[in-house]
Amino acid sequence: MSDGSEAQILVLGWNFRGASGVLRERVAFSSDEVRDGLRRLTGRGLVSESVIVSTCHRSEIYGLGDGERAGDELARFVSEWRGLDRAVLEQAGFRRFGADAVRHLFRVAAGLDSMALGESEVLGQVRQALSIAREAGSSRGVLHRLFESAVRAGKRVRTETQISVHPLSIASIAVELAEKVFGDLPQRRLLLLGAGETATLFARHALEAGLRDLRIANRTAIHAEDLAGRIGARVLAWDELAHELPSADVVVGTTASPAPVVRRSDVEAAMRQRRGQPMFFLDLAMPPDIDPEVRGVYNVFTYDLDGLEEVAAENRRRRSREIPEAERILEEELQRFLGWYGNLSVVPTLTDLKRRLEKIRDEEVGRFPPDERERLRPLADSLIARLLHEPLRRLKAEKDPGKRMDRAEAVRHLFDLDKE
Amino acid sequence: MRAWRRGSIPASMHLFGWAAVLLYAAAEALAVRDLFRPRGLGGAPILVGAGLAAQFTDLTITARTLGSVPYRTLGGSMALFGWMLGLAYLVLVLRHRERAVGPFLIPFILLFSVLGVVFPSHVAPAGPSTRGTVFAFHVTLAMLAYAAFALSFVLSLLYLIQNRQIRRGRTGILFARLPALDVIGRMNRTSVTIGLLVLSVSVVLGVAWARRVWTAPVDAKLAWALVTLLVYGVLLWMDRRGWAGPRVALLSIVGFILVLFSYTFVNLYLSHSHVFR
Repeated sequence: MSDGSEAQILVLGWNFRGASGVLRERVAFSSDEVRDGLRRLTGRGLVSESVIVSTCHRSEIYGLGDGERAGDELARFVSEWRGLDRAVLEQAGFRRFGADAVRHLFRVAAGLDSMALGESEVLGQVRQALSIAREAGSSRGVLHRLFESAVRAGKRVRTETQISVHPLSIASIAVELAEKVFGDLPQRRLLLLGAGETATLFARHALEAGLRDLRIANRTAIHAEDLAGRIGARVLAWDELAHELPSADVVVGTTASPAPVVRRSDVEAAMRQRRGQPMFFLDLAMPPDIDPEVRGVYNVFTYDLDGLEEVAAENRRRRSREIPEAERILEEELQRFLGWYGNLSVVPTLTDLKRRLEKIRDEEVGRFPPDERERLRPLADSLIARLLHEPLRRLKAEKDPGKRMDRAEAVRHLFDLDKE
Repeated sequence: MRAWRRGSIPASMHLFGWAAVLLYAAAEALAVRDLFRPRGLGGAPILVGAGLAAQFTDLTITARTLGSVPYRTLGGSMALFGWMLGLAYLVLVLRHRERAVGPFLIPFILLFSVLGVVFPSHVAPAGPSTRGTVFAFHVTLAMLAYAAFALSFVLSLLYLIQNRQIRRGRTGILFARLPALDVIGRMNRTSVTIGLLVLSVSVVLGVAWARRVWTAPVDAKLAWALVTLLVYGVLLWMDRRGWAGPRVALLSIVGFILVLFSYTFVNLYLSHSHVFR
């Protein structure tokens, strides 16, 4: 920024790196609280624009204000609002200003600052934060552009690198593998063996992945019925397992049974009935529910916990290898944003505007014969000076830095100054 | 434009042939780029379609010059084969709405089209045994069948690659972009079915035509074609009888090796009746 009184983009935040889960919970905001907070922040004039990003892993307040002073005021505001000791808040949180704050948001949007590197959910959360701020009227020219740039940067990182290609959780790896076997996974039948916590978690994931035909078999029928009721699945009798096996495409073992529940002979018989159509077995139980011998049956895919954990570890490493390329893209987007932002400060806008008008002057005067040009030029110069005088005075006189930038942006837009 | 000598086409005259080559190359570039973009069929099929139109024009010019279907020259038969391959690719992509096979298939179309324009097109005037509609259909259909089997060969390789990725839990970009096994399997089935039907018709036409020309009752190439039919027939039967999957893919690869063998070794050394010099 060219002059000390110019507004600065700043962020004040708490994330999983510095703040404990308990503290993060205290500073996490629901959508309604975010709206309320944004209104209070701009209402009190602490910052001229603001956006709040709040997820389970982070709460971050972005603002456009007067540097450190605005940072202090934001910290005081949060401490009063949430009834937290300010020293504790300051110690667990972080502050960034200017280009550092912009870079931070870009890294957040790209998933580089996430616990699960490259995860995609955070991009939606950043987008939602902007839309709430727009509704609340707390984001205008600068933060609006900042968040749109962050979303674009996040999208680019995900399409131009492989950072979000490799799945990280056991359930998502299993679902992706099964999808690549069947192609139309949502139309396939999933058979869950067991009705405990693992089965519940996997069933939820399967539903999210679009599977609708879920069957549950459990030694204690009442538990199966309970889970089936919660997730909209059907219950199978435990002793009819072998009979029902051929109709299942994906079988997930989660029971506590001391001996394998599915034997090789059952699977061979099922495969005969299926005329060789592939089956997918996922064994999440310990000791195993699926006899290890099943692995050798033709066109059957089997996976266990250890194997998938190895895949997850390898995928984490693969994602990490994409970080340098992702950072390069972010730096490119950062420079692009800062270029625009730098122009927003009043001085370059005025220079650009003057240059534009002088160009028009030269074009218009140039239409006349040379001897007349000399006479017309002073007239044109004086016209430009008089026309510009009042707008320039008003632009400079605006005390609120956010409004000043808004006006500068309006001028840039009306005269199309960013074209060149 | 100067009329060129009947029976020979200089390489520089293959303007449309070269245009097709460029279009196929552009289609390949686009198909590779589209691998990294999530949705839609992409622009590659459109470019292949345009390439097919250009190549068809080139083939028509060649045919007029030769006064017959352009398979009697090495260049002509390569170009015709490339064209058939492109046609089969387009049918497959549009029928299964699956574009991820493009980057792996288009190079073959490109290869044969390039060979079609650089290989010589000089031929002797058509002899009596290679004239007539029946013969033209026989050869054209045989080529279409071989193009379908070539597609099946590539699909089978993709099947085996994807099968391996899934079994090893390799969830990288190749895994993500290649279609699901079930989809590749279905595309392969379509391809083999077309190849089998078309080759059968071609063999029947060939036999009908040969009865008028040949003296020997059986030719090595005919025998080989029957073996090829048998292999692909067994493949389709296996596919229905519970052997779908990697075994069918492997058999398709074996089948295509037989086709290549028939195209090269059998043509050059074993077959005496299938030589038209």
